[in-house]
Amino acid sequence: MNSQLSQDLAHFFPELAVSVAFLLVIIADISFPREMGKRISFTVTLLGLIASFILVVPLFGVSAQSMFFGMIALDRLAVFFKCFVILTSVLVLLAAPGSKELSRHHLGEFYVLLLGATLGMMLLVSATDLLMLFLSLEMVSLSCYIMVGYLRNDRQSNEASLKYLLFGAVSTGCMLYGITLLYGITGTTGMAGIRDFISAGGFPGDNSMILLVSTVLVLAGFGFKTAAVPFHFWCPDAYEGAPTPVTAFLSIAPKAAGFGSLIRLFQTSLTTSPGNTSPLAAVDATHWPQLLLLLSISTMTFGNIAALRQDNMKRLLAYSSIAHAGYILMGAVVAGSLGTQSVLVYMITYLFMNLGAFLIVIEVFNGTGSFSLRDYGGFFRRAPFLAITMTIFMLSLMGIPPFAGFFGKFYVFAAAVKSNLAWFAVIGALNSVISVYYYARVIKTMIIDVNQDAGTLKASKIGQVMIWLMLLPTAALALFWTPIHKITASSVQIFLGN
Amino acid sequence: MIGLNHYILVSAALFSLGLICVLIRKNAVNVLMGVELILNAANINLVAFSRFSAANLNGQLFAIFVIVIAAAEAAVALAIVLSMYRLLKSVNLDRADILKG
Amino acid sequence: MENSLTIQILFYSFALITVASACLVVFARSLIYSAFGLLFAFFGVAALYVLLGADFLAATQMIIYVGGILVLLLFGVMLTHKLYDMKLTSELFQFWPAAILMLGLFATIATALLKTHWFRGKIEAPEPTTAAIGNLFLGEYILPFEIASIFLLIALIGAAMIIRRKPE
Repeated sequence: MNSQLSQDLAHFFPELAVSVAFLLVIIADISFPREMGKRISFTVTLLGLIASFILVVPLFGVSAQSMFFGMIALDRLAVFFKCFVILTSVLVLLAAPGSKELSRHHLGEFYVLLLGATLGMMLLVSATDLLMLFLSLEMVSLSCYIMVGYLRNDRQSNEASLKYLLFGAVSTGCMLYGITLLYGITGTTGMAGIRDFISAGGFPGDNSMILLVSTVLVLAGFGFKTAAVPFHFWCPDAYEGAPTPVTAFLSIAPKAAGFGSLIRLFQTSLTTSPGNTSPLAAVDATHWPQLLLLLSISTMTFGNIAALRQDNMKRLLAYSSIAHAGYILMGAVVAGSLGTQSVLVYMITYLFMNLGAFLIVIEVFNGTGSFSLRDYGGFFRRAPFLAITMTIFMLSLMGIPPFAGFFGKFYVFAAAVKSNLAWFAVIGALNSVISVYYYARVIKTMIIDVNQDAGTLKASKIGQVMIWLMLLPTAALALFWTPIHKITASSVQIFLGN
Repeated sequence: MIGLNHYILVSAALFSLGLICVLIRKNAVNVLMGVELILNAANINLVAFSRFSAANLNGQLFAIFVIVIAAAEAAVALAIVLSMYRLLKSVNLDRADILKG
Repeated sequence: MENSLTIQILFYSFALITVASACLVVFARSLIYSAFGLLFAFFGVAALYVLLGADFLAATQMIIYVGGILVLLLFGVMLTHKLYDMKLTSELFQFWPAAILMLGLFATIATALLKTHWFRGKIEAPEPTTAAIGNLFLGEYILPFEIASIFLLIALIGAAMIIRRKPE
C-alpha cells in the first residue's frame, strides 16, 4: 500500500503545487504589509499555477490508472481538463488586478479562492468515486459563491452570490439524493463499481424507475454547474452581479469542469459497453442520452432567444454562454470518442473567444464605468482597437469561419450528423443563426452607431497584451488545426477499470 | 419489523419537505433550513443503505463528509445573508430584486 | 433484534418527531418556531442513526449539526430582524397548495422507492463503528479527508472575508 501511495503522490504533484501555493498565499497575505503583500500574493499564486501547469503536462504520457484507492483517476481526459482549468485560472489571474471593480478591494483572499476553485476543479474532472465527485463539486461551487460576492459593499454582488448559493445548494442537495439512490442500488460509490454491477445484470427485478429518478436528480447537479436550462436561473444574475473577471472565470472554468465530470460519470458508470467507440450503449433505463438531448435543445434555444433582448453586456454574454453550453451538450449527447473530442475542441475555442470578449468588457468598464450596450456606441472612432478586436470575438462566437468558433461548432455538428442525429445538428445550426442577431447587434453598435459626446477610450497596456493573447488563437486557430486535432483526439481516453 | 423501507420513507418525507420549504419560503434563513433538511434526508438514505443494503461503511463515511460540507455551506450562506441584511436591512428574498431574474 | 417491540416503538416515535418537526420548519409562521423545529428534526435524525447502528455518526450529527449549524442559523435568525420587530415572522405562500405539492412529491418518490430492488450485501449485526471509520479515514478515504480540510479552510476564509467590516 505504501508504494502505491507514493506512486500516487508522484502523479499528484500538480494538485500539490496548487495546494502549497494556496497555503503560502494565506501566510504571505497575513505576514507582509499592504503593498508588498499584494505583489507577493499575486506572484506566489501565479508561480503556483504555472508550476502546476508544468507538472501536469508530462502526465499526458502516463498510462491510465486509478489513484488513491479508486478516488480519482489519471487519464488523458483528466489531464486535458486540468491543463484547461489551470490555463483559465492563470489568464483570469492576470486580468483580475487590472479591473477597476476589483482593484479597490484587497485581493489576497481572491487569490486564495481562485486557487481553491482550481484545486477543486482539478479533482472534479478526475473524480471516479461519487464521494470525491460530490466533495470536489461543492469545493468549486463554494469558492465560486464567495468570489461572486467579493464586492462586499455592492448590493448587486451580494444579491448575486446569495441567489447563486441558494440555487446551488438546492441543486447539489438534489444531486446528492440521486447519488444516494445509486449507492442503494449498487452497494458502492465507485463509478466503475456501479457500471460493473449494472452491466452484469445485477438486480433481480425491474429497477428502471429508480434509475431514471436518480439520473434526473444527478443531472440537476450537473445542469446547475453547466448552467443548462432549466437549471440556469442563477446564471444571468450571478454573472451580472459578480465582478467581471469572476464572471469570465465562471463562464469558462467551472462549466468546463462540470462537463468533464459529466462525460466521465455517464461514460464510465451508466453505460453497458464501456469504451470510447460509438455506438455507446447507455443503460436503457437511465435514458441519459435522451435527457441530455432535451437539456441541450432547451439550453441552446432558451439561451439564444433570451439573449436577443439584452442590453447589458454582462447579461448578454451570460445568456450567450448558456447557449454555448447547449452546443457543448450536443457533443456530450453523442458521446464516444467522436462526441468527447468535439466537446474538447469546442472548449478550447470557447476559452479564447469568451475570455477575449470579457476582457474587452473589463477594459470598457475601466474607461466608462458602464456595462450597457449603448455605451459601446461609436467605438470605431473612440476606441478602434477595442472595436476591431470585439468584432472578431463576436464573429467567432457566431461561428463564422475562419475564426475559432466555427471549428468548435463544426466538430459538434459533425459529431451529431455522424451519429444519425442530423436533425439535432440542424436545430443547432438554426440556433447559431438566431445568435447571429445579438452578436451582430454588438458589432453594429460599436462600428456603425455614432456617439458624439463620449470621449476616446484606450485599453491599458496589460489589457492590450491580454487581448492580443486571446485574439491570436481566435483569429488564427485555423493555422494550428492539426496539432489541436491530434491532441484532442488522443485526449478522449477515459480510465474505465478499477 | 423495521426494515430498509421504513427509513427510506422517512428520508423521502424529509426530502419533499425540504424541497417545498425551499420553494415556498421567502426568508433567506428559512430557505437555508430547507436545504439542511434535504441534506439530512440524503444522509438518512446513506446510513440506511449502509446498514441494510450495502453492508459496508462507505455510506456512513459519505454521510460524515456531507455533514462537513453542510456545515461549511451554512457558514458561508449565513455570512452572505448577514451581509445582505447589512446592505438592505431585510433578508426577505422578494427584496432582492435589483437583478431581474 | 430488529423485531422487538421496543425497537418498533422507538423507531416510530423518533420518525414521528423528525417528520413533525420538519413540518414545523416548513409551515410555521414564526421563524423561531422553524428554528426549533429544525433542532428537533436534527435530534430525531441522530436518534435514527443510533437505531441504524451508526454511533459515531449520531454523535457527529449532534455536535456539528445541533451544536454548530443550528446555533449559526439561530444567530442568523436573531441578527437579521430589526430590534423592535419582535414578531419574527416569515411570510408563507398559501398553506394548502404547498401541502398538496409536498404530498404529491412524496407519493411519487415513495412509489419509486418502494418498487425498487435494492442491493443486498452480507448483512451483519451492527458493531461500534468509530475504530473502523477512523481506519477508513486514513486508509481508503485519505484523499477526501485531506481535501475536506482544504475545503473547510476555504469556507473559513470566505465567510470571514464576506462579513468583515473594514474601518474605512
